[in-house]
Amino acid sequence: MGIRESIFLLFLILISTYESFAKEGLAEELNEEFTEGLLLRPLPDRKVLAHFHFQSSVPPTRTYGRHHHLFPKSIYQLVNKFRVREMELSFTQGRWNYESWGGYDPISSNNAKPPGVELWADFDVPLDQVDASWKNLTHALSGLFCASINFLEHSTSYSAPQWSFHSFAGKLRYGTLPREAVCTENLTPWLKLLPCRDKAGLSALMDRPSIYRGYYHSQRLHLTSDEFDAVKSNSGIMLEQTLTVVLQPSTLEARAMVSVKTLQPSWSLSSLFGRKVHGRCSVSKSSNVYVQFEQNLVSELKEMWKESEGSESGILIHDDFWTNPIFEMSASPHRVVKEVGNLQQEDSSILYEFLVEDYNDSEPFDLGLRWKLPVAWLCQQAPLRASRFLMGSGNERGAIAISLKSSGINNTQRVGCSEKGSLLSIDIFQVVPWYVKVYYHTLKVFIDGELQSTMENIENMHVSPSEDKVSPGVMEMILRLPCGVKTAALTLEFDKGFLHIDEYPPDANQGFDIPSAVVSFTDFQASIGFEDNFLNKLPILNELQERKHVICYTEVLLVPLTTPDFSMPYNVITITCTVFALYFGSLLNALRRRVGEEERLLKSKAAKKKGPLTSLLSKLFAKLTGRPVNPPETPSASPSFIDYKLIVKVILVAGMAVKLFRSSFQLN
Amino acid sequence: MAEISEAPSTSTSDPDFDQETMRKSKPGLKRLTLSLAVLFSFLLGLPFLLKSIEIYRSPLPFREIDDLSTAIESSPILFPCHFRVVFVNFDPNSYTADQLSISIQAHVARFAAKNSPACGTCASNFTVSVTLDSNSDCISNGNNVDWKCGALNEFKFAEKHEDGLLDEYLASVCNNNSDGKVYTVVVVKSEQEELRAVVGKYRHAWIMGRIFEEEAVEKIAEIFVKVFVNGGKEEGSIRGEFMPVGADGRIVLSFNLLNADPHNWIYDWDFQEIDVNLLSPIIEALKPLADVSVESQVLYHTPKSSFSFWDDKLDSYIFSTKDLPFFVNSNEWHLDTSVAAGGRSKILQFVVYVPSAKECPLQLQLPNGEISPTNGFISPMWGGIVVWNPSACLTDSKIKHPLRHKISSEDSRKVFEVFMGQLRQLFDLKSDGLFVGASGTYTLLASERGFSEWELDVLSRQHSCFNLLQCGTTLGSLSRLVQSLPRMIIMDDIGKQVKYSLEAAKLTLSNASLGIYDASAESSRRARLLAEDAFYHPSMMSVSYYSFEHCFAVYSPFFLPVSLHVLLAVLREWKRYKQESKKYYAWKAVSETS
Repeated sequence: MGIRESIFLLFLILISTYESFAKEGLAEELNEEFTEGLLLRPLPDRKVLAHFHFQSSVPPTRTYGRHHHLFPKSIYQLVNKFRVREMELSFTQGRWNYESWGGYDPISSNNAKPPGVELWADFDVPLDQVDASWKNLTHALSGLFCASINFLEHSTSYSAPQWSFHSFAGKLRYGTLPREAVCTENLTPWLKLLPCRDKAGLSALMDRPSIYRGYYHSQRLHLTSDEFDAVKSNSGIMLEQTLTVVLQPSTLEARAMVSVKTLQPSWSLSSLFGRKVHGRCSVSKSSNVYVQFEQNLVSELKEMWKESEGSESGILIHDDFWTNPIFEMSASPHRVVKEVGNLQQEDSSILYEFLVEDYNDSEPFDLGLRWKLPVAWLCQQAPLRASRFLMGSGNERGAIAISLKSSGINNTQRVGCSEKGSLLSIDIFQVVPWYVKVYYHTLKVFIDGELQSTMENIENMHVSPSEDKVSPGVMEMILRLPCGVKTAALTLEFDKGFLHIDEYPPDANQGFDIPSAVVSFTDFQASIGFEDNFLNKLPILNELQERKHVICYTEVLLVPLTTPDFSMPYNVITITCTVFALYFGSLLNALRRRVGEEERLLKSKAAKKKGPLTSLLSKLFAKLTGRPVNPPETPSASPSFIDYKLIVKVILVAGMAVKLFRSSFQLN
Repeated sequence: MAEISEAPSTSTSDPDFDQETMRKSKPGLKRLTLSLAVLFSFLLGLPFLLKSIEIYRSPLPFREIDDLSTAIESSPILFPCHFRVVFVNFDPNSYTADQLSISIQAHVARFAAKNSPACGTCASNFTVSVTLDSNSDCISNGNNVDWKCGALNEFKFAEKHEDGLLDEYLASVCNNNSDGKVYTVVVVKSEQEELRAVVGKYRHAWIMGRIFEEEAVEKIAEIFVKVFVNGGKEEGSIRGEFMPVGADGRIVLSFNLLNADPHNWIYDWDFQEIDVNLLSPIIEALKPLADVSVESQVLYHTPKSSFSFWDDKLDSYIFSTKDLPFFVNSNEWHLDTSVAAGGRSKILQFVVYVPSAKECPLQLQLPNGEISPTNGFISPMWGGIVVWNPSACLTDSKIKHPLRHKISSEDSRKVFEVFMGQLRQLFDLKSDGLFVGASGTYTLLASERGFSEWELDVLSRQHSCFNLLQCGTTLGSLSRLVQSLPRMIIMDDIGKQVKYSLEAAKLTLSNASLGIYDASAESSRRARLLAEDAFYHPSMMSVSYYSFEHCFAVYSPFFLPVSLHVLLAVLREWKRYKQESKKYYAWKAVSETS
């Protein structure tokens, strides 16, 4: 009995402890959270990538209520007012250099954005209200972020991708503004959404001049919400804010060693940003800084290590590795995280983790990296490098070409491309404004320079042709290419449309932008797996681990359209009117004419007085025609009459000329 | 060619006939009529042309708008008020009900005349009915008096200072007919030495103690005019333009908890609970005035922008009243407008400021040197601020990682009581529960809903008055604008909105004259909203790009040369005709004489 009782007791205890654990877990889930993180990565072209990542999350309203202490009020109200299920807004200045900054890692897939503004949103409203919600959302966002996002309101500037961009059943809207200038006025409202703004924590590094001096700048806001899902959920709203900048470390130090050209520039947080971190944001759950060494860099370092020391690998995770013969870090990392799950290659990327919590005002965090030996490496590339350009000349027609070039064999071998005959699938999503009238039947596919039949290589294609002044043309397609492809190209011919004179922007001669096309490689996943399971709790690592397709954006195209002479309508009006006026005037004069009287008058005048010139002329005329001279009958106007008429006419013509000139001058 | 048919050869026969100055035939009219016809057809065509280039302007009732604005501006809206006085335990033989009524009327009129008839008051538009309740029988002068005789005898006066109980009891006795809004003052003569005058939460007040009719009449009149009609404001002027209600009839109460420096401590609140327990009754109470919505946020790193200094005597940091204009730090306090609220809602910010360790405890010093008991202040039309000092102020603040604290429910209740007072002040009501009049001090009972019924009446009256004024000025400026810009397109929508707005304004006026406060507030709100909608209509600013200069530039290349031709032709033909007819008459004269 005793044993049985004790077992029962034990069982009870177990149950109760389990329950308490469960409760604790639940209580933990039911709280707002804010985390911050910064990822730094040296780039092969002597630049440094800095990727700030902030995440706020809030439990759903039905369990947590509508009052928050961390989550930004404006975003919560936005989500609730427009019933946004998912939304991404990015402001980008500069173009991501896929070749030297990488095209195959989560950062480039998530944060390399087209220049200007890109916004897409998915709504949880009935299908017929989606457009209205989108319009209201663009207005609200343009107010919130001090940007002209409200230009995306017109149906000509946004599109509804069916399946290629992100698969949501018809409730997603996508729009870009390639020409939007991005600056501090967009960053400040973005920072306001963070609980500490740029007063404390990692965001204190965001010194505006240093950030905007960089080569690439992209601030992104991504939010997901399942507030309106019928199914009971408990993730609530999650707001992810990232700022990705590519900076050139100041080369004062490097200039001293100008002889060693390949030596990477040494940098520190204070030299990159001009500021130091004085501790974390007090309300953030975690505040970490990571330095990432890419896979190729790691293998390069190992090679060098082997050469210099002769010892085997494993040194990089040695205790005092931050002071090794190749490079030196100014602070000792809290932990080293190695990538796992990358079976194909022996080397994997390494993350050095630093905790900002350990630092404070008296001892600010200023991480530095100093290179001692020159290192050169290449970034991981996307399987194919996509670029887009225009063909043809003149103002009438042209062609858009998207070219895909193989960037190397190593990547294409990764996924199922080892055996011959397997195919590589590529999603292309392209939006073209209505005034560029694309003829989709002219689609040609070239593989390795040879024209192919389109049907063979396109697995799926969805086209919604543009409608004049109503909607843009959208093309979504899945392309199947053989694995060993070297180059592939798509061409589409188009006619340039004519805009109404009111529709031209003020700088019409600059040309019109065709937004970037999105090329995604669905067979390839850009993610870095990490060994530790509890790392899942850190959102910045979550972002790296998230399995997403490799995505890249092509260039923005600039199409020059025929720009009219904007004063032309007025010139036409004035000339036509003048012609009419002349006609009318002469008609009226002809009607009023007294031919007989005039002739009589002339005769009498001629009889009275005959000028030497007129007699000479009449003589000449007589000689020419061979008729005898008949002076009294020669019709010739009296000088006074001529004068009068002449003056009137001269005044009339002069007045008209002046008017013509003035009106055309004004309108030019 | 009649006028040139005469051949010069024929004239030689007549010696009197001078070819230069005479003619024999009558000058013809053909060319003159032709030129004139062309000119007149042009002149006739001109209206058609002007019509064709005209832009669409919906007809607006300018006269009615002017009438409304002049009506509103010339005479303020006055509401009828009904007063009732019940004298209990008074000797019915000393004064009759009629005498008392006349005396009270005289006093009320005297009080009302002191300040010029302000908008939303009663002025001389009132009735007074008096009931004498002397236990056994009741004598009334009015015919619609429904005071239950001897009602107060049923109430146990044993518990003397239970004002709340008496208030409820009176409410049950007085408000059995709810159609008209009658303000009641009950005067109870008792042997009690101390005189008490209390204004209840409903529409009645009572005066108790050893009091005589003459004195009572004075007090009654003061309660009626100063409290029930003017809302207990010191000066009679109603600052109507400071009514913190948005043009769309909405108020957003935005509550902000500001942690000046989260490195020292982080305070949080349970706003959910506060919202449900403390704020929802107030929102309910204010419903007839405005739609009130509540939102909250907690902000960090929000230092104030004024300085404070340490005072040894008071053992705290002090900021004085002259620092108040600089207290709000608009750079760092991103209180923000609300996305949820429409563009024209009024947002009232209420801020709890938690000072940092450097300036803790922070106290507000009044001009008289005392420390403010509420430690807060208001900024009219903006909101209110309360400085809340954490209890852990003086303990060591050198904690490396600050803990998250929660403001205790006791403290938050206190803070929100201050906010309630501030909200009342923003609505221009008294917040201290006492009214000091010329003839004594009156206790004002506070309602748990924040606003008592008679206060809501006052607000309703003021609100409708203010709305109507606003509607009048908006429509007036709209009509002035429209008349000053002749080439502005006016859509039909605007015309409709103006029409409905005028209708609503008229309804308000008629409701006001009938004394229906709620309905007049409602319709005045609608009138103002429609007027503002019309004024801020998106199409309003689309002044036609086809301006007059443009029109001139387009048409002048045709009309200028043509008109020159036509006018010249007419002139010349006319001159010629006159000249030729002179010649003809000259010849006629010559031929007649000869």
